[in-house]
Amino acid sequence: MSIITRKKSGKKQRAPLSQRTWSIGFLSLAVVIYIFYTYIVPHTSDGFQSQIQTWFPPSALNEALVWVIAALGLNIVVGYAGLLDLGFVAFWAIGGYTAGWLMSGFFNQWNIHFGSESAKVIPGIHLSFWLVLILGALLCAFFGIVIGAPTLRLKSDYLAIVTLGFGEIIPQIFVNGENIHGFNLSNGTKGISPVDSIGIFGKRLGPFDLNYKYMIFVFMAALMVFISLRLRSGRLGRAWLAIREDELAASMMGVPLMKTKLAAYAVGAISGGLAGVAYATHVNGIFAERFQFSISIILLAMVVLGGMGNVWGVMVGALLIAWVNSTGLPALGNEINSTFKTNINFPSYTFLIFGALLILMMLFRREGLLPESRLKLMLHESDAEEGNEAPHDQISEEGAM
Amino acid sequence: MTKLTRVVSVVAAASMVATAFVAAAVPSQAAATKTLVIATDVPLQGSSFDSNDSTNKAIALYLKSIGGKVGKYSITLKYYDDATATAGAWDAGQCAQNAQAHVANKAEIAVIGTYNSGCAKIEVPILNQDPKGPMLMVSQANTNPGLTKSWNPGEPDVYYPTGVRNYARVCTTDDNQGSAAAQFAKSIGVKSVYVLNDTQTYGQGVAQAFTTEAKKDGLNVLSSGPAGQGWDATQSDYTALFQKIAPLNPDMVYFGGIYDNNGGQLLKDKVAVLGDNTKVKLMAPDGFTGYPQFNSDPNAAGAYLTFAGLSNELLVANNPTGAGAKFLASYKKTYGKAPVGSYPIYGVAALQVILAAIAKSDGTRKGVTEAVFSGTGVTIPAAQSVLGKALHISTLTGDTTAKDITVEQIVGGQETTLKAWTVK
Repeated sequence: MSIITRKKSGKKQRAPLSQRTWSIGFLSLAVVIYIFYTYIVPHTSDGFQSQIQTWFPPSALNEALVWVIAALGLNIVVGYAGLLDLGFVAFWAIGGYTAGWLMSGFFNQWNIHFGSESAKVIPGIHLSFWLVLILGALLCAFFGIVIGAPTLRLKSDYLAIVTLGFGEIIPQIFVNGENIHGFNLSNGTKGISPVDSIGIFGKRLGPFDLNYKYMIFVFMAALMVFISLRLRSGRLGRAWLAIREDELAASMMGVPLMKTKLAAYAVGAISGGLAGVAYATHVNGIFAERFQFSISIILLAMVVLGGMGNVWGVMVGALLIAWVNSTGLPALGNEINSTFKTNINFPSYTFLIFGALLILMMLFRREGLLPESRLKLMLHESDAEEGNEAPHDQISEEGAM
Repeated sequence: MTKLTRVVSVVAAASMVATAFVAAAVPSQAAATKTLVIATDVPLQGSSFDSNDSTNKAIALYLKSIGGKVGKYSITLKYYDDATATAGAWDAGQCAQNAQAHVANKAEIAVIGTYNSGCAKIEVPILNQDPKGPMLMVSQANTNPGLTKSWNPGEPDVYYPTGVRNYARVCTTDDNQGSAAAQFAKSIGVKSVYVLNDTQTYGQGVAQAFTTEAKKDGLNVLSSGPAGQGWDATQSDYTALFQKIAPLNPDMVYFGGIYDNNGGQLLKDKVAVLGDNTKVKLMAPDGFTGYPQFNSDPNAAGAYLTFAGLSNELLVANNPTGAGAKFLASYKKTYGKAPVGSYPIYGVAALQVILAAIAKSDGTRKGVTEAVFSGTGVTIPAAQSVLGKALHISTLTGDTTAKDITVEQIVGGQETTLKAWTVK
């Protein structure tokens, strides 16, 4: 519901909305959803509640927000700097394992407690969720630079292949990291579970405090949006765009390629790290087998479908695809099967539907659902009627934030 | 500022629509007989689809055959899928989401599932903390021992935050198979063993259980480490590994793992270096069963295999007129083909446990869980049990007492049943 509403509100406007309007819209929508789930749903009939559980379960919403956080990071790398990254899942995995290592009884040979609400008697490293968020982000930023460094001299396809390799290597290390010269790094395919719950204001969140988790995840998404928008309108953001449009011209104009590209990788990776930590607390564990290539592809699809380079578009794309993947398609399939007495396994056609959707998008709306105006102009350069929106609009809008 | 007003008004309109929705929703009418919902929670995408689809069908068929009723309650089923297309298999996020939904759907009384132990490790703690529960989960397929008994540090208590058990299973665990293999090895006069594992969860589990039991039974375990020596599935040659083992002169080598992990090469090099399976015996768990390629390999002749539980064929052979055989016949009649794999029949066994618990309870989640874990617990008599023998769930651990292990031997390129082994 929420997704469609926001999409419509974006479509109805003829002139592009300013970033400030979008931000206020985002926050008020977040508040409305919060009020709806926390105060309205518990007082409704059982039938309505089970409808909500089928179509819009609150935990699917939280998971969709985790996807949003990761997609916003990928948007910086792909959407802003134009560096095609096919291995973004690696950062998600690293962030997740940071939470697994620092917020569970996994390393029971040590007994470190700091700022965590978990019982002091449990051995292992138990740090505060908020500290782990920062550490996960820093670790990912470091790995972002590590992956970025060898790719600096590469372009397009070759760059994608290197990132793809990185995205395969990291999860493999976690799958096989059970015995590294006697040291158990990742517990192999068994994974690490359970992970400590989030502590906030001295309260320890239980498994059913989804509304608190929702607020925390919204906050994290908002933080990433803020970072994206501020960087985008600043010196670094303009340098990213310059590289995206024409790398050679940018370097001729004095844009430091190495520094700028590494910054894109690092900032994007931070977001992946945040998503990883959030994900580990969301599912209460971390499992190596989950971090597959398909996750990177879905993230990329979110960015492309939503509108590369536009944080709001990416957010809409991420919410939409995450919902389709986790709830929408199975629920719709069940509905169709029970109405028409058919027996079609809808979820098995997910990738077919995604594929068709992406092809249609590329044919009719290459710029994405909510395009960045600069990109839209570029893609429609050949169109006959055009010129209502000048590129300087975009810059002035984003500067207004 | 007009744009801002527009956005705010759209948002406000959306919230009003949502509220109207709420108001319009019809309150559910109270039924004459109380209807309870049993959920199944299995991956319905990816390679395990066929087996799990059969499980759902088998459960539905069995429920229909008993009239969809137990005691004063009528029972309906609700199917959950814990896989996503993105993952192509079970997905941790989906498991967390399903667990939340089980708790939130008020009519739901208990859950059959999950198929994967990793998924159960996510769902069990959530169901355990259900304010109206704990909510019972009975798995037909989780073989990881840590869910119910001491295994890795902290297990199984980490999965039961409230300190009360709510998870049971009707299948045997990996460690039972390892134990049975060690006991069997002793019974055929083996004095010393060398244990290998494929470094994966399953392989390490059985190898560890084998090692522990072998030591307990006084066998000389020549390999070091709790689960023996790992073999790397990506290696092209294991001659060096077996040359290291040869001077130790083991009576038997145990392959804890699955055949897919380069088991063929491992077998070839074992026979080449240590000699055939009459000279140095070979034993392997059910990860090596069901592979025609392994069975027909001349190097495999004489190898011993164990199988956890009873295959459908064995089940019918053991008790041709029992409830299990009858059920399998009616499944074939209804759907035109036999269920895929052995787990569907165990899914029905899980349903039987839940139905028995409901019959004994007051119809609440807490009551159903308590029916399994307190007092005399739940027992399915042999005459009714689809597994063909009495099934009792331990009130302390939630494990089944029907710990069937079948010992087989490769004779003439075929898996032949040697004997049924009951774990001591």
